Amino acid sequence: MSRAPFADHDIVDAVVIGTGAGGAPLLARLAEAGLSVVALEAGRAFRPEEHVADELAADIYWTEERLSGGDDPTAFGSNNSGIGVGGSTLHWGAFCPRPDPRDLQLKTLTGQGADWPLAHAELTDYIRRVEAFTGVSGPSSYPWDATRHYAYPPVARNASAAAMARGCAALGITAADAPAALVSRDRDQPHWGQRQACVNCGTCHQGCRNAAKTSMDTSYLPHAVAHGAEVRAGARVLSFDIDGAGRITGVVYRQQGEDRRQRCRAVFLCAGGVETPRLLLNLGIANSSGQIGRNFMAHVATQVWGSFDAEMRMNRGYPSSLITEDLLRPERAGFAGGYLIQSLGVLPVNLATGLARGAGMWGERLQRLLHQYNRLAGIGINGDCLPHHDNRLTLSDEVDAFGHRKARIDFSYHANERAIDRHARQTMTAIWDAAGASDIFAVARSAHTIGTCRMGDNGDEAVVDAEGRSFDIPNLLVCDNSVFPSALAANPALTIMALSLRTADRYLAASF
Amino acid sequence: MTQPTLVFLHALGASGREWDLVRRHLPDHRCLALDLPGFGDRADEGYADVAAMADDLAAFIRRERLTACVLVGHSMGGKIVTLVAARAMSGEAGLAGVLGVVLVAASPPCPEPITDDRRAQMIGWAADGPVARADAETFVAANTAAPLPEALREQAIADVERSSRQAWLGWLERGSREDWRPAAAGIAIPALIVAGGEDGDLGEAAQRRLNLPLYANAAFRVVDGAAHLIPYEQPAALARLIADHAATVAKTALPAHFVGLLGSARVSRRTRAAMLERTRPLADDAAGWSEAQLDAVAALVAQVLPELGADRALARRIGAAVHGPGDGWRFADLPPDVEAWTRGLATLDALTGGFAAQSPSEQHDWLARIDAGQAGSGDGDGADRLSPAQMALWFQDVRAEIARQWMATPAAMAAIGYDGFAVGGDGARKQGYVRIAADDVEQWQHAAEAQS
Repeated sequence: MSRAPFADHDIVDAVVIGTGAGGAPLLARLAEAGLSVVALEAGRAFRPEEHVADELAADIYWTEERLSGGDDPTAFGSNNSGIGVGGSTLHWGAFCPRPDPRDLQLKTLTGQGADWPLAHAELTDYIRRVEAFTGVSGPSSYPWDATRHYAYPPVARNASAAAMARGCAALGITAADAPAALVSRDRDQPHWGQRQACVNCGTCHQGCRNAAKTSMDTSYLPHAVAHGAEVRAGARVLSFDIDGAGRITGVVYRQQGEDRRQRCRAVFLCAGGVETPRLLLNLGIANSSGQIGRNFMAHVATQVWGSFDAEMRMNRGYPSSLITEDLLRPERAGFAGGYLIQSLGVLPVNLATGLARGAGMWGERLQRLLHQYNRLAGIGINGDCLPHHDNRLTLSDEVDAFGHRKARIDFSYHANERAIDRHARQTMTAIWDAAGASDIFAVARSAHTIGTCRMGDNGDEAVVDAEGRSFDIPNLLVCDNSVFPSALAANPALTIMALSLRTADRYLAASF
Repeated sequence: MTQPTLVFLHALGASGREWDLVRRHLPDHRCLALDLPGFGDRADEGYADVAAMADDLAAFIRRERLTACVLVGHSMGGKIVTLVAARAMSGEAGLAGVLGVVLVAASPPCPEPITDDRRAQMIGWAADGPVARADAETFVAANTAAPLPEALREQAIADVERSSRQAWLGWLERGSREDWRPAAAGIAIPALIVAGGEDGDLGEAAQRRLNLPLYANAAFRVVDGAAHLIPYEQPAALARLIADHAATVAKTALPAHFVGLLGSARVSRRTRAAMLERTRPLADDAAGWSEAQLDAVAALVAQVLPELGADRALARRIGAAVHGPGDGWRFADLPPDVEAWTRGLATLDALTGGFAAQSPSEQHDWLARIDAGQAGSGDGDGADRLSPAQMALWFQDVRAEIARQWMATPAAMAAIGYDGFAVGGDGARKQGYVRIAADDVEQWQHAAEAQS
């Protein structure tokens, strides 16, 4: 078996582009199976303690410009896009509910949206593997799934969570400690070292400084490296070499200003819901379906805020320590799908931006609310979003520093998203009212980047097949949130990691 | 406003006493004049190298828990001050209270420009023992523009004589030759650089060439009627300059409890450095605005966050962000950020006949119309304007950027009682929070606030 470091002229079994939730688990799985694999990551490598507990100084967000259009333009950058070895798992919130089985069969059950071309049971099996490998904290008994067990006790509820529990109880809504992809006790992570128990610092989105949070750089990537994989940081992919038979034979990338070429037998493109379709569109490949960039989805992520008499100091504690799944299929809802509610702990700059943008505030009211920071608390949703043909990623005429055209993403809520948003505002306002909040208001927001290289059974309607393989280029596979046929109400990272393991297993089964 | 504490560092062969007259002219300031190891009352400590002297000053700042101070360094002491200022910039614990620097005929971080003859002569004075009376007299005379009054002259000579021989030779043979430039560049702490009008090797030309470029925010003054021993020669004039500089930087002082927390081991060096950087002034060219644009942005600040008024410092910081690397996205219906702001501000001025000159209520009414998509440029107005729909989007960007840049300043964090930056230092275990329930506030949080 050949091992890292590989030379550019070595023909490695696979190049994996991106080291986040989509790329890292499959890198580890392929390496474990004895394949020679190289991961190319655009960003730099971090040690956990290098992360900075400051919202502006944190340097783990993809800040190259994207153009956001449509009636409900979605924010990128720190809102949903990461960079660095570990990708978006460096900054993710670690809120990790499992997808609901009904969400994978939305089309069958509601006539709307799309079905997933894989069974929920199979996905859940991979989810369990991810949870076991990374360590998840959660309740000993999960109200909406009797079969579920979490390895670590739940993190402590902070003030926002306690308020939400109070409000939900008053309304007869079931709430529980949230599944959190972090360890609430010290854990020895094989091939990496000690991940220390979460210390309630509240800065998950700026990067976890004691490795309590699941991040690819402290879990799957060291496992991959221990099994012979090579991770190249600061390596920005520019193009592919494609032979006469239409197969990729090499990946051209730029590292430290130098253009290099890694020869390979297969490519796993795992660059996220924006960069994955953007690269393919820029190269003009793998798009006989015409579906690349279409069906862009972002979760409805509306928040409701209010003021409390008590000092909440919501920056303390794991930010999303309470969940309810009661609203996944509300009665007489008037929409397909549903939403999850979580308690929120938002840091001051993020709050200020949300008030100024999503709540349209300025002047005395904005100022007063910011001064009230320590007495504010909020709850928010992650709501399903249907795929719509006109919500899409296209290429702008403007080019980036690498000569690639920038992404333009047009996103508008349609009737279903508006209905979810309306319903959620009412529900959350009622919860906050029952919890004792005053001066309650909502902040409009959407989150995550989903669906731009959808998977499906039919090459006319999908970019990749049910195993993640391109219908056009047989040795190109895609694994990240771009392959999701529908958005699911659950936050995406856990599902992406599970899909990543599955993609690797299917590839290994088909190829060897 | 509380005036910062002044911390004085003396020159080679001197002691804290060299500042006695200057301090007499600064009755409203708390003044602390140190003896460096090997000099004054600490002569028996022998030679401490440059790093050790800087450690000594940093330890003093920590021991005294200085939460607002200006470091004043004369000659040799200036090199030490610059190195400690650089350490404060890099986020070293306990130095968050360093607000300003005054360099007086200061030795630079690079090798000191002194002729070989002069260095050899001064080394020769200590060849066989401490510097003798006659050589000390020569030294004082050579470093003054005119003879000092007798009592001062005697004091200056006595300080040379009592200096440790090791310390004297150590500085001349090593300390003054050490090159610390890599550690001392781009210091944004506001500095006042003072040169003696009749100084020699460390006079105006050397100060401009060797010290001025290291400081991003520096004022430069020449004191007439003085050579190198300015604190003895022109104490009143020097005290006036120091007081003015202290008053300027006092405006950037943070509440004492906040500085204490920021300087503590609960905060990582990277976090501390990033936060402190935002307390330093930004030069106009770093902001990227024209004077008129700066006025308009400051007026927008006053509308979005009225308590700030027309805050030009924040307007500059917003300019640096707008002209900087960007935050990952923009509205597709707006041009790139710099162009959007340029056109937005131009449209605002065209609509209002000069936005900054309007009354606050007129400004408010215009922004309300813009927010509602009812005000902007018509079709025939050219490519340098924004339409009403674009203006509404741009005003969203304006609100968000103002709120974001203000909220990120330590002053704002102090104002809202935020301590979420103090959740993990650079130790093996991060502190985080132990108590997180409503109204359950930890002792260190209470302690911090009780002092305010």
